[in-house]
Amino acid sequence: MALTVTLLSSAFIHSRCCRHRVLYPFLGPLLTDSVSKLYSSYRRPGSLPEKTPSWQKFDFSFKKGVDVLKTQLGLLKKETKDHLIGPEGRPLNEYMLEQTRVVWVFRSQEDLNKWVISSDVEIGGKSEVYLKLGRNNQAALLYGTLNTEVPRDGETKYSGYCSMRSKPLVGSFAKKKYYDWSNFNSLYLRVRGDGRPWMVNISTDPYFSHHKDDLYNYFMFTRGGPYWEEIKIPFSKFFLSSRGRIQDDQHPLWLDKISTLGFTLGDKVDGPFQLEIDFIGLINDRAHTEEFAYETYERNPRV
Amino acid sequence: MNPHAKLICTLSLITGSTITISSNHWVMAWTGLEINTLAIIPLISKSHHPRAVEASIKYFLVQAAASALLLFSSMSNAWTTGQWDITQLTNPTSCLLLTAAIAIKLGLAPFHFWFPEVLQGTSLTTALLLSTVMKFPPMTILFMTSSSLNPTMLTTLALISATLGGWMGLNQTQTRKILAFSSISHMGWMAVIIIYDPKLSILTFYLYVLMTAAVFLSLNTTKTLKLSTMMTSWTKTPVLNATLMLALLSLAGLPPLTGFMPKWLILQELTKQEMTVTAVIISMLSLLGLFFYLRLAYYATITLPPNSANHMKQWHINKHTNPMTAILTSLSTTLLPLSPMMLTSI
Repeated sequence: MALTVTLLSSAFIHSRCCRHRVLYPFLGPLLTDSVSKLYSSYRRPGSLPEKTPSWQKFDFSFKKGVDVLKTQLGLLKKETKDHLIGPEGRPLNEYMLEQTRVVWVFRSQEDLNKWVISSDVEIGGKSEVYLKLGRNNQAALLYGTLNTEVPRDGETKYSGYCSMRSKPLVGSFAKKKYYDWSNFNSLYLRVRGDGRPWMVNISTDPYFSHHKDDLYNYFMFTRGGPYWEEIKIPFSKFFLSSRGRIQDDQHPLWLDKISTLGFTLGDKVDGPFQLEIDFIGLINDRAHTEEFAYETYERNPRV
Repeated sequence: MNPHAKLICTLSLITGSTITISSNHWVMAWTGLEINTLAIIPLISKSHHPRAVEASIKYFLVQAAASALLLFSSMSNAWTTGQWDITQLTNPTSCLLLTAAIAIKLGLAPFHFWFPEVLQGTSLTTALLLSTVMKFPPMTILFMTSSSLNPTMLTTLALISATLGGWMGLNQTQTRKILAFSSISHMGWMAVIIIYDPKLSILTFYLYVLMTAAVFLSLNTTKTLKLSTMMTSWTKTPVLNATLMLALLSLAGLPPLTGFMPKWLILQELTKQEMTVTAVIISMLSLLGLFFYLRLAYYATITLPPNSANHMKQWHINKHTNPMTAILTSLSTTLLPLSPMMLTSI
């Protein structure tokens, strides 16, 4: 990478002194007077300025490399052993017979590290969001202040959101892994909110880039009282949206390849917010027989 | 799907396959393969679900690359030998490139990564077409060029396919992916014997098509897309559940079912060719698949789940059961006594 950058920039400098007629057609773009970079230099208002070039950030320590290799090989060995036991490291009969599963529980800092929080600061807004363990380490507390003041960059029209998203599963050698929730049909959350409406987002991390902003969303209306709530959201209710826009062509969420789950608050109300989450689980609700809640009519009926 | 579009796609599939299997010229073989690729794309993305669209894009890219490689291999052969006859493939580089191209087309490991994903993204009927009809033209090309192919490369591809097909299929929970890995494993068995006895390879292919079609049609009747549905399908169709298990065990190659016949004949032929080590390795590798199918059969038929079926589609079967399901299931479990006839003809 460093070599490529040096070569390209030096080619531009040297092109002024030696212009071979044979190479002229190939070096055409480099012989112009305009300076162009390999990447855009626009920086979003909320992000820090990058002073060191990317190729200087690499740490070529041999010991660190060996440690990382040992860790990854250890993970690979564990994955191989889990593969022999059954799907996702558990015996097949457990997979076949289970009806509930707790996926995320918040009891320690390690559990909190599996989540990422973000807010509109990344587009220049002023909302604040924090995540910490609740009282007696029995829940996660997501709290902060929502601020709908629009950043003055001339292009943003709306602002005011805070979110918490789970980190995608990573296997050995940074392989992508996915959750398999196909045995279940509802999301089960034990939360204590403050009456604000939250949006639950599920991302399936598709392969191609034109689907990369696809999210399946549904709402979670919290009560706000001193009592804990147990909210069940069937997966059949999740609707498809892309970059925040609800799609006309709706499709059910496929549960065999789930990447992340997230909670977003964007109810256009300035002020503090708070959400306590005890655990997030899955349930196979036998009473829920709906396959998909939207667009179940036949779109091209035979006349 | 619009019936006219469906008709055009189906006719194009038949046309493409016929063109390839009956061609003598490389360009016609390539044309048939391309027609097949293009015809199945609308069938894969029929439901317009993002996963189906993803599957169709993956399928198109992989197959187009394989077709281009095939055409390149035939062109390089034509450059050196001056002719385009399929059976006269003599240039060693062309043979290697052709083997790679056909391996990509068939989903032989290590070019198999697209196959389970594409099968998972489609409906069961289209998955059946992808596993059977779409594999027929490349198999025919392998059959026609079998005398020119590199034995080492084919044996390596076959052993890797059998390994990966068995290993990756161990913990699958989606039925289409299970069948995808079973297909990869079977393609391995076919590839190992294609040079020494091409007719046996074609017999293996026909029996594989028979068994796979039986399994897919049974799964389609009960809309079984995942294992938990398979476990609770006994409440609606107990006999079909049992015969599905037998068909899966036949796919795994358990005697006295039909699936044992091609494996036995292949092992016999490999032993005759003094490839006993290969025979031992490939038979050991097929035990992985057999282990998984037996475990599945145990949990799906002998274990009683503590719940009833609430899967809507299992209570409402909208279309009548395809009579071919019964015929194919019977054939896929009872054809082993025909082995003496096979021994004399191949």
